[in-house]
Amino acid sequence: MNLAGALGASALLTALASAIFAVVASTWGVRRAHPGALAAGRRAIYATAALLTAAIATLAVALLRDDFGLAYVASVSSREMQTAFKWAALYSGQPGSLLLWTWLMSLAVAGVVWHAGARLRWARGHAQAVGSGALAAFLVPLVFLASPFEVSALTPADGVGLNPLLVDRAMLIHPPMLLAGLASTVAPFIIAAAALLAGRVDASWVRAARPWALASFVVLSAGNVLGGWWAYTVLGWGGYWAWDPVENSAILPLLPMIALLHGFAVQERRGMLKLWNLAMAFAAFSLAVFGTFNVRSGLVSSVHSFAQSDIGPYFLGLLGAALLGSVALLAWRSSRLSSDHDFESLLSRETGLIVNNYLLTAIALVILGGTLFPVASELVRDVRITVSAPFYDQAVGPLLAALLLVAAIGMLLPWRRGAPRTLARRFAWPAALLVLSAVGLAAAGVRDPFALAGVVFAVTLIAVTLREYWHGARGAHRAAGGGAFAWPGAVGALFRRDPGRYGGYLVHLGLAVMAIAVIGSTVYQQQVRATVAPGESFEAGRYTLTYVSLDGRAGTANGVETEAVATVTVREGDRLLGELQPGRRFFTNFPGQPMGIVALRSSWREDLYLFVQGWDEDLVAEFQVFVNPLMIWLWAGAGVYVAGGLLAFGWQRPAPARERVTPPAPGAAQRA
Amino acid sequence: MPPRHARAPGRRAARGALLAVALGLALGGLALGALSLAGRAGLGGGAPVAHAQQVDSEQQLAIERQLLCPQCVNERLDQCELPICEDMRTIIRQQLAKGTPPDQIVFFFRARYGERVLADLPREGFNLLLFGWVAGSVLLMGVGGGWALWRMRRSSLSRAAGRGR
Repeated sequence: MNLAGALGASALLTALASAIFAVVASTWGVRRAHPGALAAGRRAIYATAALLTAAIATLAVALLRDDFGLAYVASVSSREMQTAFKWAALYSGQPGSLLLWTWLMSLAVAGVVWHAGARLRWARGHAQAVGSGALAAFLVPLVFLASPFEVSALTPADGVGLNPLLVDRAMLIHPPMLLAGLASTVAPFIIAAAALLAGRVDASWVRAARPWALASFVVLSAGNVLGGWWAYTVLGWGGYWAWDPVENSAILPLLPMIALLHGFAVQERRGMLKLWNLAMAFAAFSLAVFGTFNVRSGLVSSVHSFAQSDIGPYFLGLLGAALLGSVALLAWRSSRLSSDHDFESLLSRETGLIVNNYLLTAIALVILGGTLFPVASELVRDVRITVSAPFYDQAVGPLLAALLLVAAIGMLLPWRRGAPRTLARRFAWPAALLVLSAVGLAAAGVRDPFALAGVVFAVTLIAVTLREYWHGARGAHRAAGGGAFAWPGAVGALFRRDPGRYGGYLVHLGLAVMAIAVIGSTVYQQQVRATVAPGESFEAGRYTLTYVSLDGRAGTANGVETEAVATVTVREGDRLLGELQPGRRFFTNFPGQPMGIVALRSSWREDLYLFVQGWDEDLVAEFQVFVNPLMIWLWAGAGVYVAGGLLAFGWQRPAPARERVTPPAPGAAQRA
Repeated sequence: MPPRHARAPGRRAARGALLAVALGLALGGLALGALSLAGRAGLGGGAPVAHAQQVDSEQQLAIERQLLCPQCVNERLDQCELPICEDMRTIIRQQLAKGTPPDQIVFFFRARYGERVLADLPREGFNLLLFGWVAGSVLLMGVGGGWALWRMRRSSLSRAAGRGR
């Protein structure tokens, strides 16, 4: 008997039983107003999270102890792998990543139930029932379809090792971050569903859900950025976002989550968008389930592998249930979802935020359509097609540029209504700046309309955001007695006073910087491919590269058998800038899957990106070189974006005046 | 002479506007500088150097970027290392040397491997459904969203009128 297999499988089976018990106890407790049943349901949720923690710890120990009796451990790990990469092996295969997904989700569900104790007392039982239902739904495939604790009939002497693509330090943080972001979408979903079930859809659910939605937004954003960084530094194709179906699945839930955070501001201030916000919370979770289905079913890469997959149809059914349940709940409570306050003027911040929501939804619909269209093509006419980057650049690019402009306009509009004269004054200088920037860029030779519009809108957004900080900090600066040294304190005071608002503005700032970098690095990217013998040179942009030698060295660890490394000197004019060492890494257990070693030279202006595509017996090598302008600003902008999201956590807004509380539905609200 | 309390906000606003425009121009200048530097750097890109054995032309790379590997999923021809892609790149080189127009080279590969090797989805036949989906999504959110905003505003006006009566 394999101890780890028995312990892990028992933990998962007990966790499933515990989650089902939590559903039954919580539902019973709500229906019968029975505090004891509700408390039992709550404890069962904590027990489910604890059992899943035990299961994942068991798998981690099995990986660390090279327990190849477990089929999963033998398929993703090997004896000579470093400890850190054994951690990466935990989620490198389907069963392991599903276990991590479910464990993270159990922590989110337990967190919501614990956190909601104070903020969501009237819907706690409903939240328990929905959360434990979601957990049970994810535990079923772990127990019956894709268990990481399946025991091999024969125990191999060594494992296969980690997939070469994953032998990189970025893998230690990127997948867990992304999975945590996807799993955390369950939190706003649970709270929204509980609010609807309890029949109370005023701003209280918004206050309970906001920190969770914000956390999900920050983690999902960071996960996507880290994914881009990994693709850029490891995959060796000169870019960071390929609009691959798997990448699309990761970004799709982020879009309704951003819409939800903006919608929360409208609902809390003006009592509007009740139906919309609930729909966005449901959409974010449904798209996370769609991503799980998409990644695990093999549907997008080949429609036929879907038929062979055990887990794909299950998640398709789960996705259908989540969507149908959401629509049914919204329809059931539709009479309670009207606005509390009048929509006083179209020239208001409400309009800006609503248009922002519409744009984000349009972007999500376009990406979803592009992701699923190859499946439709193969199903309907049996023709394989690929929807790749040019489609998304043309279809999504203009919408993203419009989003930057709407963000800038929205920040200039006041809540409720704006007097025409005030608005004219507020808009005069950004409009002038927009026109001046457009003329200046066009005069400097920027002819691409997408690049021109994107940069102009991003510059306008940066200027408008900085103006908001300046206006906000002016008062605090005066109060502190003025002087240059008082400015940092004044800006800090803004974040203490209204971190949600000023953290959000920082996110806008990061986004605008990222937009300029994306445009620079895609529209103005240069590519050179040269075949050279040792001692020969070629040019790429303003650089002259000289291929010096190609040397082999023995592998270090993690399945690396050998590494071939080329030495290339880089000059700009007569000035020697340094040496780069691109190469290729060959793996013992994956002979047909060598990985490139990317060599990178970054500056504030551009990245020089170099890799070796191959060589012959005379060591004549083929190099691919990319000169990617403004790349460092993409990562810097992403840092500002994530920092803004983190700073927004301190949001402590006082309860809005004139809040109308919708009475609970008779018989539906939790009476305990 | 206008009263002091009326002039002061005007001055502040003017000062604010001036500062904001100056800031905006500085930011625009930075972006402009960065992009023009990028553009200038591009002037020297890919120029063949006498002592390299072979530097692929910009035209060759442009054709490769229009094509995908017939065996991989969503992998551009210029980046794929499979032997089939190496063969395709060699064919492109040979055809360009013969003076074949780029469109014909792309058409040749489409005829040989099917639509899946085209990076840019052809806007024809069944594929028009996808472009229709894009237009529909934008229209739904643009026209439908505009209508929803107008309806919200109209019902607010009706409610306000009702309260007035």
